[in-house]
Parts: sequence; structure tokens; C-alpha cells
Amino acid sequence: MATVLPRASGGPPVSLRWPPEDNRIPREIFTDPDLFRWEMDAVFTGPVWVLVGHEAEIPQPGDYKTISVGAVPVIVVRGGDGQVRVLLNACAHRGARLVEGPSGNVLRAGFRCIYHMWTYAPDGTLQGVSLPEDFPAEFRREDYGLPRARVATHRGLIFASFHDETPPLPAYLAELTEGLDRVVGDGRLRYLGSVKVVFRTNWKLYVENIYDGYHVTALHTGFQVVRLRSHGGQRLVPNYQRNGHLWGQSRSTRVDELRPVLRDMSLFEVRTKPTTDHNMIVVFPSGVVTDYFDTIQLRYVLPLAVDRTLIEFTFFARSDDPEEVVRHRVRQGPAVLGPAGAITLEDAAALERVQTSSVARGDNVVLKGTPKRFPPYRHVDEAPIRHFYQAYRRLLGVADGAPSQP
Amino acid sequence: MSALSDVTSREQAARELLSHYVRVVDDPERVHEWPDLFADEAEYVVVTRENLERGLPVAVIRDDSKDRILDRVTVIREFWGAGGRLEDRHYNDVRPRHLVGPVWTEPAEDGSVWVTANFGVWLTPSADPTPRLLALGEYRDHVVFTPQGPRFRSKWVILDTAVLQDVFVYPL
Repeated sequence: MATVLPRASGGPPVSLRWPPEDNRIPREIFTDPDLFRWEMDAVFTGPVWVLVGHEAEIPQPGDYKTISVGAVPVIVVRGGDGQVRVLLNACAHRGARLVEGPSGNVLRAGFRCIYHMWTYAPDGTLQGVSLPEDFPAEFRREDYGLPRARVATHRGLIFASFHDETPPLPAYLAELTEGLDRVVGDGRLRYLGSVKVVFRTNWKLYVENIYDGYHVTALHTGFQVVRLRSHGGQRLVPNYQRNGHLWGQSRSTRVDELRPVLRDMSLFEVRTKPTTDHNMIVVFPSGVVTDYFDTIQLRYVLPLAVDRTLIEFTFFARSDDPEEVVRHRVRQGPAVLGPAGAITLEDAAALERVQTSSVARGDNVVLKGTPKRFPPYRHVDEAPIRHFYQAYRRLLGVADGAPSQP
Repeated sequence: MSALSDVTSREQAARELLSHYVRVVDDPERVHEWPDLFADEAEYVVVTRENLERGLPVAVIRDDSKDRILDRVTVIREFWGAGGRLEDRHYNDVRPRHLVGPVWTEPAEDGSVWVTANFGVWLTPSADPTPRLLALGEYRDHVVFTPQGPRFRSKWVILDTAVLQDVFVYPL
């Protein structure tokens, strides 16, 4: 049984100005610290499923990793029974953080709090406390298990929710499941490692950038240099009436048709798929899933502060990949999509600039593709950003500004 | 030249290669000289201590051939609009500053030298006067002696932080 965190209720604690046109985004939402705190509650512990990992990251009983759901630090752990759980990373007694590191195994030792030596089993049940003499007579260990999030998985993708009204995962993902399946296949993956970096931008600017197909050829100079283009595709917004996920589909130029400006062009090579089609997915609000070229990548978007966002890029191979394919994925993944990746630095530079000038107030405007009111959009459109903010505004309790159904 | 002084001069030459490296990577105008410091067979790897200790193969940068090392300069200059003359830099314009030391050297029996050193890299963005600590860690270098002089056969940059504080434009 999931434990649901207590939530604040009512509207936002700040008066949120939102223009009547749904293609205008008020810049204050990227700089207001009160709004940021409200989002951590209303969005991340609201009725959403937050992507927190893939089972390949914790393959063995007792394996765990740490992450956060909005502002809530959690442990994603595989129990001795093989089941994946998401536990609050704070002792139920006096709140000390239980595990500090990014990962480990607690099958034998359990989680032991350093402060008063309370010990929890890998499933979060309290196993023992030190010196329990003189505790109140009504103290019962079963009342002090670690709070748990609801957990649902799809093909090994692990989702957590701290809200009791979140719809079942299949209904939440809707037709996005087909896109996820294209990337993760049957879900049998091998974890290759992660790279984490702080972007100096608000978390929403990071996420909306992925909904935006307009910037891709304009900003990513590397694509222009090698003459890599999109040969068709579309941007879908699965479940846009409720959650507003993003499913971008695109077919890029084959490596043998690119301008060979690099001596080693394997950066842009596709060896594991019959075509150069790829998917770029956002599971609203903060999970990114992509199979760009031969890279299988999940990204966790972790808000740190109103102007700082930690992005964890995680890389995978398929379980049955031959070693030379694994090696290719290891060489290609971070070289394209990561803190030193050929098409990532530009996003960091652009988003930092948008963040820096957000103090100027006024509105950001979304134009390309907006004459269409509903998905599907063209792959070069930025119009899907509107649906991200409609879903966001519904969670905040602000009128979503969405047009009536077609 | 005696065996002892030969070893000493090789260690000294390896130290000078590292000093020269710092001079080159601190200057955006000289980024094209960076590959010259590597041997024809060479690797340049930047990895977090976390992935290294867990045996995970993903590195932040894995330039595992001289071709990839040469390509990095193309990526820096043509993809990212950085490096080169000031008027050619479009964005990502930062001034890196490496602080290196202490440096330890250990000669190998084949005449090469292993060099380890502590390092920190600060960035001063042109648009923001506040310097940022980009990375802190350890160099593990293998220096070989070619007819052209000492060169890196491998340079491993091991980062203490699992969470990088910024994206990487110039070599560490």
C-alpha cells in the first residue's frame, strides 16, 4: 500500500499572470521562487507518474539507486522478493537521510540510519531500533515503515507517483506506450552508466525545449555542418487533453550521405535499426526517452532551484547486443547527447540565455505550427509547447487556456 | 648520459609536456594545437570516479583514437562556435583556467613515464564575471617519447564530482 504525502491545497500561493492567448508564456514562471515551491507539490507530487529509472539500473535483489521526485528525495530499490519499490529517503524517526550515495546494494544489511541506528529492510519495513526501552507503550514498528510512493512499470521503465488520484499507468501514457516500446523494445536492457550535469535553467525551459521542433536545425550548428536534416516525421502529443506527453518522430540523413567533416563519423551512424527513424519522447512532466541514432537514453529532469536543473543522462544497450554493438553505443551516446555531446551544448547555452533574460518580464511566444490547434504537428513545429503548458496549468489549478475539442 | 640522468630528464620532459598542455587548453585561440600533444596512437578519456569505480563503461568523453582527438577540435570550433579567434566564437565563449599540482612522475621500464596530477578547472564566461568551478579531479597520463618529443599516449581525466557543474566546451 502506497503512503501518500500530505499536500497543500487550493490555488497557487502567488498571483499568476497568464495571457489569454495560449501561445504566450509569462516569463515570471521561470524566476518566481514561490511558484517553484508550489510546482514541486502541485506538479511533481500531483496526479502524475514521474519517470525514476529503468529496472536494468537495479538488476539484482537489494540493488538501489537514489533520485528525487520533484523536491522529495527517494530510493528506488529492488527488494529481496524482486519487486521494485520507491521509498522516501529519510528515516521515519527524525528524518536523517538514509543513503547518501547514488547506488548500492542493501540485500544483507538493509538501510541503517546513522543517527539512532534504526534499520529498515529493503522493502522499507522497520526491522529494528536501538534501545527501545522507555518508548511509549503504543509504539509499534509497523507504524514506522518508510513512506512509499505508488510504483508502476512499463517494459522495465519505473514510474512513481505520490498522489492517490493518479490514473493507472496505461491510461496515463495512453498511445505513448507505442513510442516507448519502439525505444525500449521488450524492456530487456543493460545499464551502461550515467552522466549528470547542472543546467542553469528552470526545469520547464529544459522540458519545453524537447517539445520544440523549431530550434533543431537553427540552433544545432553541428547538424548544419554535416548537412544532417530531418526527412519527414511528426510531433504527436499523446493524451493532450490530460497530460500532454510529447512523441517526436523523425528520420535523419543517413551517415553515408552526410558531409564527412569528422574523421570518425560513427557519431552519426545507425547500425542497429533498419532505418534512421528515431523517437524523442517526454513522459509528462519530466521523463525523457530517446533512441537517437543508436543511443538508447533516458533522462531524468530534476529541479534543484528555480534557475538550476540537474539532468541525468542514462545510457543503455539491449541485453542481447553483441559486444561490438555495446562498444558502439558506449562511444556514440555521450558523444552526441551528454554534457560534452555534439548536440547538447547548444541547448545549454540557449536555455541559460533564456533563463538569464526572464527577469525582463514580458512573454515568450510560440509561433511555428500554431495555426493548427491540435496534434499531430509537423516535426519542425514548436506548437506542441502549448500542450505542455496546458497540462501544467491544469495541475496548478490555473485555467488551462486550451481551445475546445475539435 | 648516465642511466639516472636519462630517467630524470624523461620525467622532467613529461612534466614540461603537462605544463605545455595547460598553456594550450587555457587559451581558446590555441585549441587547434591540442591534438599535437598526443601520440599518433592515443586516447583522451574524461570519466567520473563514480562510473569508473562501478565498472560502468560510459565516460563523459571517450576519444579513443587520434582521429577522435582531432575531431574534437572540429566539434569545438565548427559545431559549438567556440575556440579560434574571438570574432569566430558565436557562443560558449568562456575563458578556462587550469590549476594543476602537485604532479607526480613514475618512470616505466619501457622508457615511458606515468604522470599523475591533481587539477581544477575554473571557467570565466564572457557574459558573467563570476568564475565557475567546472571540474576537480585527477589526471592519469601516460607519456611516450616520439621522434618529435614527448607525447601523451593516454590522458585520463578522472572527475571527483558525479554531478558536473556545467557542460564541457574545451578539453579539461
